[in-house]
Amino acid sequence: MTPLLAVDNLHLWYDAGGGRVVRAVDNVSFALEKKGEAIGIVGESGSGKSSLALALMRMPPKNVARFDGSVRLAGQELTTLSDDQFRREIRWRRIAMVFQGAMSALNPVLRVGEQIAEPLLLDHRYDKPAAGARVRDLLERVGLPADFASRYPHELSGGQRQRVGIATALALDPDVLILDEPTSALDVSVQAQILNLLKDLKDAPGISMLFITHDIGLASDLCDRIAVAYAGEHMELGPAERVLVTPHHPYSQLLLASLPRLHSDVPPRPMPGDPPDLSALPKGCRFRPRCPYAFDACREHPPAIPLPDAGHARCWLNDRNVAGARFETHLPTEARLD
Amino acid sequence: MALPSATLAPDAAATAALVALDDVSMVFRTNKGLFRSGQVTAVGDVSLHIARGETLALVGESGSGKTTVGRISIRLLEPTGGRVWFDGQDISHMPEERLGWLRKRAAIVFQDPFSSLNPYMTVSELIAEPLVIAGVRRRAEREERVRAALTAVDLTPAARFMHAYPTAMSGGQRQRVGIARALIREPEFIVADEPVSMVDASSRVEILNVLRGLQRERGVAFLYITHDIASARHFADRIAVMHLGAIVESGTARQVIDHPIHPYTRALIAAVPEPDPANRFRRRAAERWQDEPGAAIHLECPHGGSPTAETFLLQVPGEAGHLVACHVAAPLAR
Repeated sequence: MTPLLAVDNLHLWYDAGGGRVVRAVDNVSFALEKKGEAIGIVGESGSGKSSLALALMRMPPKNVARFDGSVRLAGQELTTLSDDQFRREIRWRRIAMVFQGAMSALNPVLRVGEQIAEPLLLDHRYDKPAAGARVRDLLERVGLPADFASRYPHELSGGQRQRVGIATALALDPDVLILDEPTSALDVSVQAQILNLLKDLKDAPGISMLFITHDIGLASDLCDRIAVAYAGEHMELGPAERVLVTPHHPYSQLLLASLPRLHSDVPPRPMPGDPPDLSALPKGCRFRPRCPYAFDACREHPPAIPLPDAGHARCWLNDRNVAGARFETHLPTEARLD
Repeated sequence: MALPSATLAPDAAATAALVALDDVSMVFRTNKGLFRSGQVTAVGDVSLHIARGETLALVGESGSGKTTVGRISIRLLEPTGGRVWFDGQDISHMPEERLGWLRKRAAIVFQDPFSSLNPYMTVSELIAEPLVIAGVRRRAEREERVRAALTAVDLTPAARFMHAYPTAMSGGQRQRVGIARALIREPEFIVADEPVSMVDASSRVEILNVLRGLQRERGVAFLYITHDIASARHFADRIAVMHLGAIVESGTARQVIDHPIHPYTRALIAAVPEPDPANRFRRRAAERWQDEPGAAIHLECPHGGSPTAETFLLQVPGEAGHLVACHVAAPLAR
């Protein structure tokens, strides 16, 4: 079956000046197989997770040094489309995005209704009365009263603004919704409400999602699969449950071990070392300087080694031939780190 | 309002504690226009105490009043009601010019390591500034103490960081500079207001471990203000949950997190997305939260109580130190 969204060998590099290149998205591949599937892209600041969203929306910043790869939506190659075609046919219409920062993503002088109606009217797809009806419909779908259409953003709470952001993204019935830290400025109770809404949208009408977050707990709550981003690469990809219980990349293991758990007295363990300078990446495996398992093979940059669950891990420990006896011992039943 | 006399005897817990708040409230006046003014009760009748070398976590969502309580506890704010005691002295309304001794013995670490450090000062200047203000004239002594503070927060080798600017450092490193700065006058009490909320997940533990180390090795007491109840479990001795300006439940992690009684505590815990396979795709019982702009989030009382009703903490039977402001559930617990 043709996947809904297939991303292959995507690169988005930035020119940071002085001959330095930042590899924000570096050879990233994944696929959203079907309607209603969600993938969580989990990473810390500088892992390139937001750049991935900009690459897929084709909204890269000006200082691009390299932007290539393949993005296919229901089999159609998008990277060969002209900017004009992409704007008319794909962006917002088939792939839409909800931005980080519920507070700043809305125009403060536009009423909520005008804001949501903007893509509808620009497109000449709706006349004014039909757009008004559609706006009321969208507001209800995101759990807001229809009369919120006449309110201004400052009259809304952070959670309500983020709902408006979601309504705007849903306006043209996209197939894929990209969410970039949609709850990062919100309290945990409001975050839970937004997550409930996203779970509903995922079930019906079956919107597929790319959920970008620094919070692996949040990602696993909503997403079927999780990709763990580090220094521009996806170090690991797999079913959320498997990644949480038996992470196959040391970075995923250490990240999970560093989280304070609510219902366990096992103390969280600090991650060794510092995040890498993205314009001066270590040779070989990018996690090698911080990795407690590093061995000779790690001087060589590891490919995405396929795993039986159709995921991958960019770590030589997953290659039986290279890792030798280590292959048997490193995989945790629980996170085996000692 | 007449100044309360400082000679009134506080209760026993307050005298034994390093820091004690006794029915503290804080009412802010708001200006809504030329002729209209209003009042916001940020904190209402909060009592708490922190022993020497103890860490109390104050957990709550935005608007719960937790930051206000933190600021009152070291008299960065003057409370509009109640008493604040520091080492047996009533500091509730002590004038600022008489608080010099407190500024040495208590300090604060701010939330935002990006805006709370002056980008034009080196790490060494930033950390030494409180010493300069305190009149430590000898440069060599200041440098020696800066070096010791950097070592205490694991920014080593100290020489590598002393002449660096904060802009060249990661969020986690900057926050450690903030802690070193709070530490430089060797305080007995530190208010840490969301010290890791703006730091990447993998660097948080390291910072919290630094704070825990200071508590264990130097006997520093902490008020750890956070929205992250999971971190409170691991880095505090006791937890107090704040909601709408009041403490609704307090006790040990085992009491508050493993056996929560107050409906708000229960809802707060249920809303946490733990990275646990058993916890996925769950609808979190958050529908009943009110979410209005400007208003604090509040939960309808499942027992039909009013959110504005006067609340006071009840002792949970058979559970020393476990206090709950729920008059329906507390007497029935266990």
